[in-house]
Amino acid sequence: MPRNSDTSSLEKLLENPRVWRARSQPGPAEGLSSGYAQLDRLLPGGGWPRPALTEILIEQYGIGELQLLMPALASLCVEETGAEVAEPGWIAWVAPPFQPYPPALQNCGIDLARMLIVRPRNDSEALWSAEQALSSGTCAAVLLWPHRLDDQASRRLQLAAEKGGCWAIAFRPLSARHEPSAAALRIELSADHRGTRLAILKSRGGSPAVLHNVV
Amino acid sequence: MARARRSPVIARDNTPTPDASPRHTQYALPLAKAERLWFCVYLPKLPLEACGPGDGDLAVIEERQGVHRVLLAGARARAAGILPGQSPNAALALLPDLKLEERNVIREQQVLELLATWLEQFSSFVCIAGPDVLLLEIAGSLRLFGGLKSLRRQVAAGLEAQGFEAALAIAPTPLAATWLARGGQRACVREAANIMPALRSLPLSCLDWPPTVLESLAGMGITDVGDCLRLPREGFARRFGVKRLLELDRALGHAPDPRNSWRAPERFCADFEMTEEQGDRELLLAICRELLQSHEQFLLARQLGTQRLLFTFFHLKAKATSLPLGGARADRAADHWYELLRLRFDKLVLPEPVIAIRLRGGTTRALHATSGRLAFHGRAPREHYYSMSELAERLAARIGNGSVHGVNAVADHRPHYAWCTRDLFAARAADALTRVRQGIARPLWLLPEPELLSTDNGHPLHQGKLRFVSGPERLETGWWDEHGIARDYYTAVSPRGAGLWVFCNRDRQQGDEAAWYLHGMFG
Repeated sequence: MPRNSDTSSLEKLLENPRVWRARSQPGPAEGLSSGYAQLDRLLPGGGWPRPALTEILIEQYGIGELQLLMPALASLCVEETGAEVAEPGWIAWVAPPFQPYPPALQNCGIDLARMLIVRPRNDSEALWSAEQALSSGTCAAVLLWPHRLDDQASRRLQLAAEKGGCWAIAFRPLSARHEPSAAALRIELSADHRGTRLAILKSRGGSPAVLHNVV
Repeated sequence: MARARRSPVIARDNTPTPDASPRHTQYALPLAKAERLWFCVYLPKLPLEACGPGDGDLAVIEERQGVHRVLLAGARARAAGILPGQSPNAALALLPDLKLEERNVIREQQVLELLATWLEQFSSFVCIAGPDVLLLEIAGSLRLFGGLKSLRRQVAAGLEAQGFEAALAIAPTPLAATWLARGGQRACVREAANIMPALRSLPLSCLDWPPTVLESLAGMGITDVGDCLRLPREGFARRFGVKRLLELDRALGHAPDPRNSWRAPERFCADFEMTEEQGDRELLLAICRELLQSHEQFLLARQLGTQRLLFTFFHLKAKATSLPLGGARADRAADHWYELLRLRFDKLVLPEPVIAIRLRGGTTRALHATSGRLAFHGRAPREHYYSMSELAERLAARIGNGSVHGVNAVADHRPHYAWCTRDLFAARAADALTRVRQGIARPLWLLPEPELLSTDNGHPLHQGKLRFVSGPERLETGWWDEHGIARDYYTAVSPRGAGLWVFCNRDRQQGDEAAWYLHGMFG
């Protein structure tokens, strides 16, 4: 029917990110879809909270802790070039334990031009760098691997993330699970021979939950 | 050469012939279109004058074929009988208090550049045409400076006041002007048609041709330009090279002679000298800020930006301390540089109080203002908005340039060569990023060095016995350099659930047990 196709083309036009409608100011709590439907359902806002600090507690590296973030990071690379943003935002990696491997990143859809690797000499420099990156407003996401992150430091990161409108992710060991933290979301990721287990320990506006084999 | 064949003789009538050959019209046109007049400043005593003003008891010596010889001598030395070509000892015997200096070509060039800058007041087109020759295009300047004579007088007076002895000549072509000046004639040729008569009697030694050419020409009894022009073109070109023929054509205005205009380097350098030594760091920072502001003014006027700055702090006794600053993109804003400076200055150790500060700008680049952007799209306007490169600069300024970088993929099958770091501060940081093949499983984490795994009956162990998920992927390549590999890569899962990328080295002696390595993790 001609009438129907008219409305659909209008819808399509309005979906274009370049069309800005004063009525549709997005709410502040809108999450960034994680790319994993079962996880999105459990998170308030339907995805990773942004701008905010997310803590991921892991026992060991290599259990899919990055894979968990990749779809969302890849969507950041696409989303911002679609909109009229003068400069794309960095995806900053502060003090990564190993080398993020570009061929694999490209496979995941990460734009290498956004990659900013920072290798500070100590923990205080790492926190300073992360805070600078978060509050600069030029980072889409900041990934941080601190040795120690006390309550005060996590609060600073959370505030910096809010200031810069940025998604902050801190990777911490499982032992930090009983330490207080200002993060909006705390996730525990563990694995054994049967697969991975993802537990939401703390979720602002949500509730704790456990998921199996998300990644 | 078709042109040479058309007219076998170089010399032609100065009166334009009605049946003008194609060549004639071709070269007559540009001259008629834009009248050019070249003013040549020839500095025969530059090596001497570059040593600074002296009392004339100075001689410049130059090493030729391993022997030092006097190149030029000052007035008093000349009066004592010292001639170019003498040995230094002979010269010293004639004048015991003679000062001898080795020729310094670099200093001569600097002096020449200074003169070129000074001459830019007379013409917008100044070019350095040789080690001792400056050329000005003055056709457009005549009116402003009150005619040819007045202009010539002003240049001559200025040169004399600066202590330079110069030979000046004016001609419609750059080469003719140069040759006339070298000939020491106060020639002033305004019409293209008069070039030939003016050049005719010029000795060939003014032409700066190689001695071998001059010798063989002299052997043929040819000593001046007029003789040369009477030679058949074809034979002349064959014997002495097409280049010499072209030079003659250019001097006469038959061939175009494009020149490059010289431009003073656009670099900033300013000193701030204090009346007494200062150790107060806040005060020093304030001075640096002032220097940065004048630097910004300098660049602003030229629409330029720079990527590098160098602060030098001078002390009375200790060696000067330098503080280089670098940015990820060309910039001129004083505030921006000041921010970077403050970060670095905190860590700078000054051995002594400071007596002077110098700021030198790096090479400059054209900088165009960019327009800001509207801040909607769901994001609140940011309080602290600065650009991506500024963030990288700030981080690098605090934790070191090498610690902040990007990454790039490299099209190489060897896993450890399939990536490289990307310098965000290089001049061409915006280099294209490589896209390599997709779809082959690669781990997100790569270990800096493959880690040797212990084995149990040839089976690799990591937190227990590994379970292979996929593989092998055989990579056997790189034989062309010394880092060839022969490996079988597997994706494996450890008993505790970690996804690992391991390989077995196939490059081993017979009988050896297979060596297993961990190379990455599927993070």
